[in-house]
Amino acid sequence: MNLRGLILAALLLTMAILPCPALQAGEYNAVIDIGAPMPQFSDLPATDGTTLSSSDLEEEVVILVFLANHCPWVKGMDPDLVELGESIQSDKVRIVGVSVNHREDDRLPAMKEHAAQAGYNFTYIYDESQELGRALGATRTPEYYIFDKDRRLVYMGLLHNSPASKRRDGTINYTEGQPTEFYVVDNVKALLAGEEVTVAETRAHGCSVEYEQD
Amino acid sequence: MKDQCLVGLLILSVSIAVGCAREPDSRQAAAGDDTADFIESAEWQATLEPVTFEAWQEELVALHGQVVVVDMWATWCLPCIERFPHMVELAQKYADQDVEFVSLCLDDRDDEDSIALAKRFLTEQRARFPNFLMDEVVTQAFEKLDLLGIPAVFIYGPDGSLRYRLTGDDPNNQFTDADVDDAIEELLAAS
Repeated sequence: MNLRGLILAALLLTMAILPCPALQAGEYNAVIDIGAPMPQFSDLPATDGTTLSSSDLEEEVVILVFLANHCPWVKGMDPDLVELGESIQSDKVRIVGVSVNHREDDRLPAMKEHAAQAGYNFTYIYDESQELGRALGATRTPEYYIFDKDRRLVYMGLLHNSPASKRRDGTINYTEGQPTEFYVVDNVKALLAGEEVTVAETRAHGCSVEYEQD
Repeated sequence: MKDQCLVGLLILSVSIAVGCAREPDSRQAAAGDDTADFIESAEWQATLEPVTFEAWQEELVALHGQVVVVDMWATWCLPCIERFPHMVELAQKYADQDVEFVSLCLDDRDDEDSIALAKRFLTEQRARFPNFLMDEVVTQAFEKLDLLGIPAVFIYGPDGSLRYRLTGDDPNNQFTDADVDDAIEELLAAS
């Protein structure tokens, strides 16, 4: 084998060994995969006037849910999200809503209004730098990320198997009828019982999150 | 600043189109009689042809032989609404060349208000190219099209192969209008 052949062989070998970034990501996520650590964040402003850092989260299970006030898929799922907050109310579980878009109606003042109107019973923070959203590859709203006690990602995707949108006449329409599989609730229950989650990833459905491009 | 103004104007025109000049919570306002009247009185009316996923595949096959640019959008998707005029501009720009523009609407097929608004929007935009409505349960349509989100633009080569899949799936590489322009130019130069 001549030198060129050796270099080519070395290159091919390196490519085979080094994980390609695309392969590292999840089935429906271009950036991260299950098992990834929770990205750190600090002092993100919340609708209740406080700020939140990842180091403040002491609960056993943390659910980050990406939201956008303007989005009919968020509005349609708001009642179910609030119900989630009620059903898993515990000092072991923490839900944090995150808004990332730079549209006026997705920024903090609008978030405050929306949180009050929808009855949000969890901390709702604004990620203006978009760093948290980017780190999680969060591109749709609503999209759920569950982290276990070691702050490893154990689930990402839908709340349940029938995404709902709020129609212009105010009615809520479940795309697949009444939901029958409750991924987030079931996974949280499993984690609290010391068990593995049953479903790790689903295809989140909703409005796209818009990131500033260079 | 100029861009901001343009975007502002677009949002304003779309807002008026969807009837939010009168309604504070614009995008939740019912389409109402205004939309029906507008569509009826328009000099040219856009049509929105329902297609199942299978029929959509056949439509694509029928377009072989030219570059095909597919804009996937919905009235619930604000960035789609904001980007759409660029697609209309491109369709005009390439009117004399072998490029076909097609829109594929992913609104809820059972939501009459949304469908009426979609027709009104296409009519106002003078989207004089084939406009289709995905006749599937919307979440299943996304799955069948292997889409995570919209806006998305799929560009096919003259041989029918999918050459560019422009999406917002990667936060660090979401497509821009310039990416659409470049992709079309590249395919035309190659064919």
